Amino acid sequence: MTVTREHAVRGTHASSNQALVRVRDLRKYFPIREGPLQRVVGHVRAVDGVNFEVRAGETLGIVGESGCGKTTLGRVISGLTDPTEGGVYYRLSDEDVARLDALLAVPPERLSPAQREELERLDRAHRVDRLQGDAWRAYRRNCQVVFQDAFSSLNPRQLVKDIVGRPLKVYREASGGALLERVVELLESVGLGRHHLYRYPHQLSGGQRQRISIARALALKPALIVLDEPTSALDVSVQAQILNLLGDLQAEHGLTYLFISHDLGVVRHMSDRVLVMYLGEIVEGSSRQDMFTAPLHPYSQALMAARPDVMESEAERGWLLEGAVPDPARPPQGCRFHTRCPVVTPFCGFEVDDVVRSLEGHGAGLDELEGIERRSPFHAQLAFADEAAADRLVRALQGADVGASMREALLQLERRDATVEIRFREIDPVPLEEVRPGHVTSCILHTSRRADLGDRAS
Amino acid sequence: MVHAVDGVSFDILDGEALGLVGETGCGKTVTARSFLRLVPMPPGVHAGGRVVFWPRSPCPVCGGTGCASCGATGRVPSPCPVCRGTGCPTCDGTGEEAVDVLTAPEERLRDIRGNRIAMIFQDPGKALNPALAVGDQVGEVLFAHRSDEVLRRAGIDPTDTSVAGHLLRRMANQRTRQVETLALRSPGIRGSARKVRRVVDDWVAGSLAETRIADPRKIMRSYPHELSGGMKQRVMIAQALACDPELLIADEPTTALDVTIQARILDLIRELQARHRSAVLYISHDLSVVKRVCDRVAVMYAGRVVETRDADELFRAPLHPYTRGLLAATPSHREERGRLAAIDGTVPELIDPPPACRFHPRCPHAAEVCTVVDPVLTSPPASEGQVACFLYRTPHEVGVDPEQMPTLERTR
Repeated sequence: MTVTREHAVRGTHASSNQALVRVRDLRKYFPIREGPLQRVVGHVRAVDGVNFEVRAGETLGIVGESGCGKTTLGRVISGLTDPTEGGVYYRLSDEDVARLDALLAVPPERLSPAQREELERLDRAHRVDRLQGDAWRAYRRNCQVVFQDAFSSLNPRQLVKDIVGRPLKVYREASGGALLERVVELLESVGLGRHHLYRYPHQLSGGQRQRISIARALALKPALIVLDEPTSALDVSVQAQILNLLGDLQAEHGLTYLFISHDLGVVRHMSDRVLVMYLGEIVEGSSRQDMFTAPLHPYSQALMAARPDVMESEAERGWLLEGAVPDPARPPQGCRFHTRCPVVTPFCGFEVDDVVRSLEGHGAGLDELEGIERRSPFHAQLAFADEAAADRLVRALQGADVGASMREALLQLERRDATVEIRFREIDPVPLEEVRPGHVTSCILHTSRRADLGDRAS
Repeated sequence: MVHAVDGVSFDILDGEALGLVGETGCGKTVTARSFLRLVPMPPGVHAGGRVVFWPRSPCPVCGGTGCASCGATGRVPSPCPVCRGTGCPTCDGTGEEAVDVLTAPEERLRDIRGNRIAMIFQDPGKALNPALAVGDQVGEVLFAHRSDEVLRRAGIDPTDTSVAGHLLRRMANQRTRQVETLALRSPGIRGSARKVRRVVDDWVAGSLAETRIADPRKIMRSYPHELSGGMKQRVMIAQALACDPELLIADEPTTALDVTIQARILDLIRELQARHRSAVLYISHDLSVVKRVCDRVAVMYAGRVVETRDADELFRAPLHPYTRGLLAATPSHREERGRLAAIDGTVPELIDPPPACRFHPRCPHAAEVCTVVDPVLTSPPASEGQVACFLYRTPHEVGVDPEQMPTLERTR
């Protein structure tokens, strides 16, 4: 079913393969400022190059640990923040998608003037952060958000009738008695009623407040609703009511959901397709069925093993993830999960920083490190206070303090006086690859890069 | 008047992990806090009931390592201080010491809090003192409850009556005054004072290492704000277990943590419980977490316990309609569940709870008797544990007509 509405962005058609929103190489960096002049010393890469599409009428689930960028992604898609790079494209037709992808494949400085004009035209008509005037208004009403904390997202000084009626008023959809009737209709559709009209948010329970948020989001009959952890502040029995309500509303109004959550159980229950995010990147994406019965990426598997479940048995428990999430301002090279991965290979992107990550506090002489001269993330010279410390590091890197894969990834390990030269195999960023129909992952064990592993693959 | 906890009874056996599950506002935290008399009064009113703690002492046969005579727990009941174990009215003739936490004198309670019964709180960021280094906070517990042991380990006789002994004892009890700090620096006593500090530091480092904190000596010098949420929770666990308590109360210890960290903390609690052989009261709103940690589960609804059963049994075949509802409403990532069976209605306000069975306004099976008679916890037929529901009683037992009784077949 194609969702068409009279208030769709003018001049666009619902595309035939039903993608409502396309995300192309989206990046959102937050500057880290330091010092009295607040100079920018680095960037937290909250979202770092993601590509996917949200199809009309589906629920796309996004899971990941806190800090993986899933909320930022939702905020960028809903237009609440502008992306640093890349874009979110709304309602592109098939021809336009092909044209856009061809244009984006060319480096910007090599575009001809005609191509540049073409890209500019597409951006102005479809890229969310470039929309203006009526097109922008149309997008805003077509894309609504329901936040995690319903209390802080409702104005405490407004009555329910004002909160739910506000979007209708702003867009001049209704006024006076007609507005009130529309509000009552909306309240009834989320399981509340006329007697809630003259209440303040603090007079309602958590579940009722979340219903008000949903009613407000529904007011303008949007095409897409971004649900950012809509039930994580609610009790189980109330959560079940809200999830059922969301399901009913979707069936009734043909809504598209972007469902962001850290709770795998809820995501499995709600989603048609699921994306798993780790440190700003998508590591795996597939249909719900594939994701939960045969996850491919070790991170997806780890998430599922970690999450306790009412249906699990003692024997089903998998291994647990060790270590902490690395600093998103300096994400690891290659596969970002390689620092914690239990099945890591020498081709997963070991780098100089991993030496510190894995040997800190092991008495490997790193306390006496005096300077690092980096040629690249994979190649550096470490200067030590004395030869003994340098020797200790070399021995630690050859011994059992580091994993076999890391030792194997070392191409060069040389001590000259008190300096140690370390060079790891250079690994490019790992792209997502479709390994089964509709199932993408970036894990080397499943993609075409598997050939690099040779006979290790077994 | 809010009846936060209203007639709750359950037992925690030595060495078992009991899960206390319920939704927001069902009184589980108030119940747990009563265990240590941490409910502020006023405004709280203790309207009745007892929280009886049976202290244990090390087994005289094995000395605490676990043997056949103490059931491998390494602990035996402490003898009643009044009758010395022969049985008297104060101990109900059992000869075992029993302390009613709710009425015990403050001094006795201080010996229990943090020592015999320890607690881990939900938000480690708020429970730790931001102005004290981690090592000092964990050390406080040892100074407060184990000062004699600390002195003994430092090679000092705790009963030493000399001036030096007196000063060191005051130091180990954290009672040192300003003038005395100078005395502790004097050449004759400096060495011993350092030794005491070293003993405490070693002890603290040992407890921290037990929670698998890497590099405990470094962590001891850091302040809570320098640590991640998972680390802070580990510090709190180390602090709680430093004195080897008989009962550990964990009040939603992983709610503020990420899934992957939660899994590791849950594993840690299980592992340490096995090693210390202490009992655990694990409070959570999350059934799946309780399933992973607990041997037995008590389900609370609106200030009352409605079902107490073996964890495996409860998850396999829940009996009380509320427990069934909760389980059916929990989404799973291991199984497709179709449409969730939500429990209709909302949790009642505890200012004016419904009469008789508090779940009857939301219960699909509710019958006439549920609205007039209060169900009590009884053993259900053909199953162990206890449940407070007329579905598992006969009309004869309750004393009403059969048609007034609820049945599983009849739903409204």
